[in-house]
Amino acid sequence: MSERIDSEAVERRRARMTRIFADIIQHAQVQCLSRCPYRDRRDLCTARFGCRNQGPVDPQHGLSSCLCDGELDYRGAWEVEDPEAVLAQWRAEADRPPPPPVDPEVQGEKTIRPGAVDCPGRQGATLFDLADDHDVRVDSSCGRMGSCHECVVEVLEGDEILTERGDGERFLADRFRLACQARVASPGAVTFAPLRRNPHVLTERPESHVDACPAVSRQGEEVFRDGEAIDQWRGRLIGLAVDVGTTTVAAELVDLETAESLCRGGFENPQRFGGSDVISRVAYDAQHDGEMHQAIIKALNNEILSMCQHAGVSRHTLYEILVVGNSTMRDLVFGLDVQTIGQRPYKSVTEHECLAGRRTGTALEAGTRQLGLVASAHGRLVSPPLVGSHVGADIAAGLLACDFDLDSGNRIFLDIGTNTEVVIGTPDRIVAASCPAGPAFEGGLVRHGLPACDGAIDTLKAIGSGFQYTTLADADPVGICGSGLVDLLAELKRTGQMTEMGVFTFGDGRAREVAVVDEPLITLSRQDASHLAQAKAASFCGQFILLRMLGIDPGKVQRVELAGGFAHSIDVRAAVSIGFLAPFDPDRVHRVGNAALEGARQLVLDTGRHDRVERLVERIEHIELETTEDFFEVFTEACQFKPMQL
Amino acid sequence: MSEKGGEVPEFIRTTMAELADIPNEFIRNELDEFVERDDERAELIELYSQSAPHLLEIGAAIISGRNEDSDRLTVEALQRGTGALEVMDDGLIAGMALVGIKFRENFIFVPEVLACARAMKAGMVHIEPILSASGIEPLAKVIMGTVKGDLHDIGKNLCIMMLRGAGFEVIDLGVDISADEFIDAVEQHNATLVGMSALLTTTMPNMGRTIDAFIDADVRDDVKIMVGGAPVTPEFADEMGADAYGDNAVECVEVAKRLVGVSR
Repeated sequence: MSERIDSEAVERRRARMTRIFADIIQHAQVQCLSRCPYRDRRDLCTARFGCRNQGPVDPQHGLSSCLCDGELDYRGAWEVEDPEAVLAQWRAEADRPPPPPVDPEVQGEKTIRPGAVDCPGRQGATLFDLADDHDVRVDSSCGRMGSCHECVVEVLEGDEILTERGDGERFLADRFRLACQARVASPGAVTFAPLRRNPHVLTERPESHVDACPAVSRQGEEVFRDGEAIDQWRGRLIGLAVDVGTTTVAAELVDLETAESLCRGGFENPQRFGGSDVISRVAYDAQHDGEMHQAIIKALNNEILSMCQHAGVSRHTLYEILVVGNSTMRDLVFGLDVQTIGQRPYKSVTEHECLAGRRTGTALEAGTRQLGLVASAHGRLVSPPLVGSHVGADIAAGLLACDFDLDSGNRIFLDIGTNTEVVIGTPDRIVAASCPAGPAFEGGLVRHGLPACDGAIDTLKAIGSGFQYTTLADADPVGICGSGLVDLLAELKRTGQMTEMGVFTFGDGRAREVAVVDEPLITLSRQDASHLAQAKAASFCGQFILLRMLGIDPGKVQRVELAGGFAHSIDVRAAVSIGFLAPFDPDRVHRVGNAALEGARQLVLDTGRHDRVERLVERIEHIELETTEDFFEVFTEACQFKPMQL
Repeated sequence: MSEKGGEVPEFIRTTMAELADIPNEFIRNELDEFVERDDERAELIELYSQSAPHLLEIGAAIISGRNEDSDRLTVEALQRGTGALEVMDDGLIAGMALVGIKFRENFIFVPEVLACARAMKAGMVHIEPILSASGIEPLAKVIMGTVKGDLHDIGKNLCIMMLRGAGFEVIDLGVDISADEFIDAVEQHNATLVGMSALLTTTMPNMGRTIDAFIDADVRDDVKIMVGGAPVTPEFADEMGADAYGDNAVECVEVAKRLVGVSR
């Protein structure tokens, strides 16, 4: 063995090992925040010390089971005494001076938004470190190296004390930073919030029976799709229905053989760092190619792993994923170029290709592996067709869920969200329009506005000189969500505290804001009211222009299907009184919950419904609201807080 | 090109190698089962398909955490004349690369990773003398241990894995190590660096007591001492009189390099 080895060659190999190990360490560090490192893949305990979480010994492997539910910090099970007392004893014994007392100011802390961290900056600390200090969880899968882009946080105050944006953060807009990269550079305080992990995503949906007739089937010991064997039989056939909304994503795991629902989940769309509405996401995608696509794929993978684990099924049996969403959201999931949706005539590349005859429909299909999804390697991702322009596959699915195609009376389907869609059917026509409402009713733009989350005020009544309200999860109030804002505007208007123009009448008409809750202070300002006026105006315009075009009296509409977002908890009378909804008969309004998710579920379970949705979409005429001659006048009228008059 | 995700990327299409070309069934199955990303699949298929079957056996032993096999197979490979660098590349590092991916994707956890790292070390043991013969010496000798009263070893073991990978020679004393045991080890091995770990608030002061014992035994100036562990802070490390503090195993290597003067 007289091999002569070059030291540089060894150096390169050491560097490679270090990289592999460093990735491992970084992942371990993140994982340790929620999972005990002594716990092996069988959830058995490999620790050689006594831990309070150790359960009965598993006879096969000779290790204790771990009883830790993962909810609490497992380290508490190891620690035995009061840390301060131990240190004090050591200092006394070693005759060392105690460290200077901690400034009480520094320990003070207040919460202004659920999950937000508001604290003095520790020089040199990253926002991630500060979040750790306050036990606020921030997602990351690269071990804080700035490469996974999952630890996006929104800096609410104190941006100026942080380091400049580095190259790794160039992809982020305004207030958003990567928690692992932004460091405290100068003295001061900072307030930031991670993207919410557990928003109240609407996963409730109309229950309806679907006979399972999926695209994959078991034949003997093999799994078949379209007459072709694609995999060996692994014990289950699982499907996933996903509704990718601009603000939130909802998903449901189903058994493709029994049609049984296995589990539902939801999370905030991580693409929020690219802007809160569709148009800013499109603009963002132009500058940072692939970031939006990667963000949603990673989030879907996390959800797939956790849902499969929760339902106790193998991800390798997940063969069909049916995804719906507005045109931009859907195309971003598939990694398509969305630039054409951002400019007139606002059409997806799939729609352009259809019109040019290069494609027969706007439905999409791709392999899971091709997209890097952690489902079966033989799985596929499918989307039904778009209705047209911004009116996407989510509406197509929602209409299917409401059997819109099987009815022939005057009917309306309204999906209220960041983008509001209106579809109206008469015995002869079906027309659809999209209205960019923006995020004002979903927690954006409005100072104390919130998406649905614990502590959000969801209903409200004016009583005497104040307000009586309820909050989600009965938590202490932290802000107001969409349905609460609708109630608030309606009540201010009803009690004469606000004019149709959104001007507050008290304080000689010069009041800039009204206090809704005194402690903690939750207010509505004139500027908030103005943002809300514009948001509800979008919904007003859509309904008004289509109803007028078809010559339908809203009072005579036989079925009003109210889908999505906060529409689920909206008070119809309040919404009508401020002109958010046309004056429909409240008795004819059905809240259909997340109709898009239900439609997706039906489509993944019953492949026969794809034809139905194709035929339905072909019947729908898409109307471009902005091309209406008197659009500007309608919009001005729509911005006022008063009932719609047709 | 409107469909960005619509087609298989160029670099994959032009690759000749396919999964079936990998001459080891276990590695083939592992790769197929656990590596999801197309680019990583392509890269690993390329790597493994060009490796000799007897080196892939080493990789397989590492991936399954079988250290006796890794030990035996590495010896056999060197005996049949395979170069040390090739054994590192196609056996040891190649195996660990897949381990890293499985861990990142949450298919295995820290205890399994440490078992794999141990198997890798069992092979590296036979490579090191060959490197020394070419004049490539370890960066420094490091004594590592968890202090008296503390039986936690994962953090320390991750540090050791990192240190060895980076080229340090590590003497692992294990857990529950008294001040005397640390001092004896330093003298016996002529080490220049000591790493101490404590995972409990109750045992953290034992780090300070150990450092005091180093002073009493008059060996404090012979070594640099670095400390770490969940309850330990840079301030406390300073208060105890340690030379450096590392927040995690990656920093541990940086700190060690700095202390022995190989970087900054």
